[in-house]
Amino acid sequence: MRILRAAWLIAAVGTMLLPVYVMLVVASAPDDTDLRGLVFNGFHLPDNIGVLFGEGNLPIYLRNSLILCVGTGLLDVIFSAAAGYAMAQLSFPGRRVLFALVVGTLALTPMVLVIPVFLIVKEFGWVNTFQGMMVPGMISAFGVFLVRQFALGIPKELLLAARVDGAGEFRIFARIAVPLLKPALITLFLVHFLAQWDNLLWPLIVANEQELWPLPVGLANFQSEVGVTYHLTTTAALVTAVPPFILMVALQRYYVAGLTFGGLKR
Amino acid sequence: MADLTRRGLLAAGALTLLAGCGDDQPRQQAADGKPQGTVNVWLHGSQDTGRQFQELVHRYMADFQIDVRLLYLPVGQLDAKLLTAFSGGTPPDVFKIGHWSFPAHAKKKRLAPVDTKALPLQNYEPGTTAPLTYQNVPYGVPIDFNPCMLYYRKDRFKEAGLDPDKPPSTWEEVAEYSAKLTSKDRKRVGLQWLYGDPQWALMMLTALIQGQGGKFPSLATEHGINALTYMSGMGNPKLSNPLGALGLFYSGEAAMVVSGAFLGPALEKLGKDKLTFGKQYGVAPMPTWAGGQSVVPAYTWGWGVAKDSPNQFTSWHFVNYMQGAPSVTANLDNGIIIPTKGWREAGPRGKSEIMKIVADSLPHVDFGPIIPGTLELAKAAAGAVDSVAHGKSTPDQAAATFDSTVRLIQ
Amino acid sequence: MRTRPQATAGVALTLPVAVFFVVFWLVPFLAAIYLSFTDYEMAGTPNWIGLANYERMFADPGFLNSAWITVVYTVCTVVPTIVLALLVAVPLSKPGRLNRWLRALVMIPAVMPLAATSMVWVIIYSDRGLANTLLGLVGVEPQSWLTSSDLAIWALVVMVVWKSMGLFVIILTAGLQALPGEVYEAAAIDGSGAVTTFTRITIPLLRRTLLFVLVISVAGSMQAFVPAFLLTGGGPADATQVLPYYIWANAFPYEHMGYAAAMGMVLLVAMVIVSALQFGFLKGGDE
Repeated sequence: MRILRAAWLIAAVGTMLLPVYVMLVVASAPDDTDLRGLVFNGFHLPDNIGVLFGEGNLPIYLRNSLILCVGTGLLDVIFSAAAGYAMAQLSFPGRRVLFALVVGTLALTPMVLVIPVFLIVKEFGWVNTFQGMMVPGMISAFGVFLVRQFALGIPKELLLAARVDGAGEFRIFARIAVPLLKPALITLFLVHFLAQWDNLLWPLIVANEQELWPLPVGLANFQSEVGVTYHLTTTAALVTAVPPFILMVALQRYYVAGLTFGGLKR
Repeated sequence: MADLTRRGLLAAGALTLLAGCGDDQPRQQAADGKPQGTVNVWLHGSQDTGRQFQELVHRYMADFQIDVRLLYLPVGQLDAKLLTAFSGGTPPDVFKIGHWSFPAHAKKKRLAPVDTKALPLQNYEPGTTAPLTYQNVPYGVPIDFNPCMLYYRKDRFKEAGLDPDKPPSTWEEVAEYSAKLTSKDRKRVGLQWLYGDPQWALMMLTALIQGQGGKFPSLATEHGINALTYMSGMGNPKLSNPLGALGLFYSGEAAMVVSGAFLGPALEKLGKDKLTFGKQYGVAPMPTWAGGQSVVPAYTWGWGVAKDSPNQFTSWHFVNYMQGAPSVTANLDNGIIIPTKGWREAGPRGKSEIMKIVADSLPHVDFGPIIPGTLELAKAAAGAVDSVAHGKSTPDQAAATFDSTVRLIQ
Repeated sequence: MRTRPQATAGVALTLPVAVFFVVFWLVPFLAAIYLSFTDYEMAGTPNWIGLANYERMFADPGFLNSAWITVVYTVCTVVPTIVLALLVAVPLSKPGRLNRWLRALVMIPAVMPLAATSMVWVIIYSDRGLANTLLGLVGVEPQSWLTSSDLAIWALVVMVVWKSMGLFVIILTAGLQALPGEVYEAAAIDGSGAVTTFTRITIPLLRRTLLFVLVISVAGSMQAFVPAFLLTGGGPADATQVLPYYIWANAFPYEHMGYAAAMGMVLLVAMVIVSALQFGFLKGGDE
């Protein structure tokens, strides 16, 4: 029984990793004649990366992507932690309305909002700025929702005890809730980072100079100029996949716990 | 808090809607007659001509003391960015867009007419600025002008027992040769269409219908049904290649393809020694129906200037400079035509057989319907062609759907 | 029980989020509702045209086709993803060195950018790619995955299931590990089999986690735009033109902003109804 279970799991996970392996093989190929992606044909990955970023903009794109993703990721964590905790554990006027507003945005199709949001950003004078790229995606409904679900599991008695001891509400939030919410917040950071890392359209619409471009825009432009060569576009794909991967490895311990709703209760 | 929210919301809402309405007042223009200031340019890049283009821009900046800011954009996302910028009132001064986009922008009063003091239009080959003209006002000049022609693989012709020096000249012959060139499993075909490409579908239908003396854009006619039936009779929509039909032509899976002048040099670059003109492949003028008139569909990219640009004279001055002799030559070397008068003399490639075909086809060039809804019309055309090719509908059904879409557009 | 300090703290902690959602979601949303009743074509003044945009949808084959494809797409991505994720998560939640490693590996597809994964799947689905190579091993002739109007939607579904499975496995694993062990021990003593334990004990206890996974995945599928945009461009012959893609095309480049906004509203209403059904269906454990 145990062996069967292990065999099933290894087979399942192995199948899931097959496309990743194909990616490595094709990105390391000297050309795109063999697309089966099963057998390595030399290791030309460094050369391919060199071709991709001959123009030398890779460091700029990488820097911008990091500013964008880490910056908005941290902001999302801070604001979602505050709001999610308050919605789960505090009683205040407008709580239900706010929750409806936040959950409602999960159902909104962003494409019909592009023009209105652009007009607002323009009114703030943020076209072609980092603020313009960052602020509209700064807080995610997903984040508030996730933290709230997690914070529902914080035992009421814990908070009550602190209140009896005379701790203020903000102190309780900072000293008791935030440490307990840590796994959820780290999960949120990771999820937010990944979503922003993939964001092509909004930065493209707001930024009017290459100096501001994040990685996805830079790569889309590369493809548009050079056309499709499978091994090079795969190399590009591999390059974009590395930073999220590193982040995942570094934070793995936390985010698993962050997705355990109700775990805190026991 | 509730109060604050409601007020802020109303204010911001009003603001959004006001900004959405835009204003029709032309902006203050810099004094005419002398180029000055800053010009923002949005375009999509190409490796082949990019370097030469940038050198020329730098020379222009030095010669005229003007700050030119280039922004290269991925071609697939250019429309979304430009439209958002237009509706926010923040367009660039100069942009490079397809001819099919000009009528819609012109109708919506986003374009500045060509300033003929800065850019003499009579320099251009007659007819080539027509698709960039709306209600008799010229709004742009062409770059990368492409009348269609027939590319064919001589090696495949030989294999199939056809004379490699006698390409088909009529659509009837194309069909006959295609049948001979198509393998049983349809993995190798004769003529391959560019499935899923809206602009191409529009061009092919224009050629096939107007060549019979019919009137496009309508498909629910005898000529329209004929054209759809004809197109579904050859090619294989399921064949795939990262470069589409042109890639299939390069690999030899497609023995014929209809394309523009750019394809020859592109094949040379792609194929290095494997694919040379005259040996493995050749070109022929766009086929006609037997006894029918010659219709050569064409497309072009064009330079436009925003009506909201505060610096229109300089913008057109810049465009005129960038369309000058050095550009014509450099582009011609890469098979890209800027159709100013005398373009064929601008470089050795002007003498090539491909460019001769281009020159001969000039009187028969047809840019298709030039209406504000061209983009949608093209999408509907591709929808009709593809749905018949994939066996999703009969030519009659596809034609009816197309015509009902056209009624919505017009 | 509302106390003054709690109310103050609650308002203060949620104020930034409230302002943000009002400015960047509610206001644009109200603008979009307004535009959905107008003929706004991204230029000039929007004219009020009442319900014309909404009426137009039901006569528009493009909309009807896209709406149907979205239904198929959503059902066929959500159900297999969750079922497969459960099948992997249940054994994976058991302790052990091997499982710890596998839990790390299973996340890799989920953290890859969609743009990157789409590129890889284009290669897998190409004529001489992995998909056809594997088919060849079992003697099936090569297929045109992305250029056949019958297969393309399934090719898309497979990629999306693969991409979203990892995260769901992790969420479900975490949820399973948090379940009280005593219940299982009791079940074992009662002599219930694996299947009974799973349906009678695991599933009900896992309700809150399942609800979360379901809501997130249905919302994600109904709004999915990027996979079709990157993998098939809505083609061939509109076979993968999901509704968000059709809305996008109507807005950019066709500029039918009013019509696009109206379709966005219909999609929104559909999503609200589906979400309400889900909450009703799996109610409990929440609030």
